[in-house]
Amino acid sequence: MAQLVFNGLVTGLLIALPALSLALVFSVLRFANYAIGSMLTLGAYLVYGFNVGFGLPLPLAALAGAILGAGLALLINRLVYEPLRGRSGVTLLVASIGVGIALENAVRFFAGSTTRGFDVEVARPLRLLGLRINHEQILTIAIVLAALVTIWIIFRFTRLGRAMRAVADNPDLAAVRGIPRTQVIRTTWIISSVLATLAGVLVGLDGNVDPQMGWNYILPVFTAAILGGIGNPMAAVAGAVLLGITEELATLVLAPHYRTIVAFAVMALLLLVRPSGLFGTPGVAR
Amino acid sequence: MISYLVATLVLVAIATIAALALNLQWGLGGLVNFGLFGFYMLGAYVCGLLVVSGTPPLLAMAVAMLATAAVSAAVSLISVRLSEDYLAIVTLGFAECVRLFISYEEWLTRGTLGVPGIERPFAGWVPAAWSDGVFLAFSFACLLLSFLFLRKITRAPFGRLVRATRDDATVAEALGKNVLAVRAKVFAIGGALLGVAGSLHAFYYSYIDPTQFTTALNAYAFMAVIIAGRGSHIGVLIAGFSVILLLEGSRFLVDVIPFLDGAQLAALRLFIVGAGLIAILIYKPDGLVREYRLRSGAS
Repeated sequence: MAQLVFNGLVTGLLIALPALSLALVFSVLRFANYAIGSMLTLGAYLVYGFNVGFGLPLPLAALAGAILGAGLALLINRLVYEPLRGRSGVTLLVASIGVGIALENAVRFFAGSTTRGFDVEVARPLRLLGLRINHEQILTIAIVLAALVTIWIIFRFTRLGRAMRAVADNPDLAAVRGIPRTQVIRTTWIISSVLATLAGVLVGLDGNVDPQMGWNYILPVFTAAILGGIGNPMAAVAGAVLLGITEELATLVLAPHYRTIVAFAVMALLLLVRPSGLFGTPGVAR
Repeated sequence: MISYLVATLVLVAIATIAALALNLQWGLGGLVNFGLFGFYMLGAYVCGLLVVSGTPPLLAMAVAMLATAAVSAAVSLISVRLSEDYLAIVTLGFAECVRLFISYEEWLTRGTLGVPGIERPFAGWVPAAWSDGVFLAFSFACLLLSFLFLRKITRAPFGRLVRATRDDATVAEALGKNVLAVRAKVFAIGGALLGVAGSLHAFYYSYIDPTQFTTALNAYAFMAVIIAGRGSHIGVLIAGFSVILLLEGSRFLVDVIPFLDGAQLAALRLFIVGAGLIAILIYKPDGLVREYRLRSGAS
């Protein structure tokens, strides 16, 4: 039982990064980014390329992958989302579907569909207070918490964070007050893509690296973001942890491969009962 | 060569029916269905399993249509309280659940082994050599009927009502229209069409397994609707028989281009679909053909 809760916590933290990324983009740019799964996959493959292709140790490879990924995200923003600025959220949503398809298949084109793994040493799990803890799980917890704290500090205490919150609240007012919207959007994409790349590495460490990996996470990620109230970045993290634990506990009664169905059931129930999210205030969600 | 052409044309007809369904749901109704392949898969499996257990093919197809229509309406009701962003993820989530359910509930669907031996309609009446030709004619008849039916309801008051709920649901509601019911109906009709497409898929391959149903169908349908110009059924037909035909036909290139294998070519094709979709959104947002009654420049 405690083991399940612990595993759920780790799964939840894993979902938290892309969910945070999704909610950030949603709050600043006002559209649901369906390419989030493909961004995760792309990040994992970039890091894989640096790790196995160039033989860099994983932390360095992750850094290089994150930088390259952020560059690509900026390029996509310039090529796709900037020309579409001012269009409706649905148009942007469909554009992001296009981006997702294109990215995933670019990965397939260059790397093929075979399953791969990062070049890391396998270590025995630790035992602590009766729990079985993998090294990957410790790494996941540490990295996710560090990332979350960093984002929280940026969001709360820096000029940039204030600018982002201002644009999220009211873009026109922010523009009138002289906040450079373009720059804020670019920064949002950089943060979002770094989070996605990190998530890709952690997911790849937890399981495998394959072109489908991001796609498998889309549903839990959206569910987590909706749980927290989409457009409310920090609450998405709480939503993710809650979802992770629910999914893990559900394996007591359901077969493990039905996790996605649990996520879907949670989302359906939530949308019917409390569509603004557990922590959202009604009416502000959109 | 002929059999290759027939195969391509059948696939184009199936994809175009799916695109027509999306055009009704998203183009006309403003409801983004990102889980097309799930409803399509559901239609294929309901039809296939019924035929294998001895139901006449046409009856099985009708049951599949009813089933997908009912399920579609139910799914659309989950997110009625909110905007399109949520409907897209709800339909996608539903599609994934369908895929998981079919992959693992082996007692019902034989799981990843697939369902073999699905008999085509009219199979007993025509000589085996003609089977493909007759089936091609049958799928084109389905496509034509779907198109005529959609055109009919689009030009009827119901079509106007659907467009009204898309453009401003609040106004439509204030005028006493039941937006909820309209949306559920739109989803049900689109679902029935996806049931037709799925049944045709099951008949054509005569064998179905979960790996056949991928998001490529989504990509094709979205591409076709965007090229067509949202809401224009004739545009979807044009897009289907130009772009989807071209893309499907590019399978042929495997023999011509030696340095790309089949999987790479498939990836390249979908990459082009994704990139093309974005390019059209940016440069030609209205598509090829304007929506019915918006043609006179009154917009």
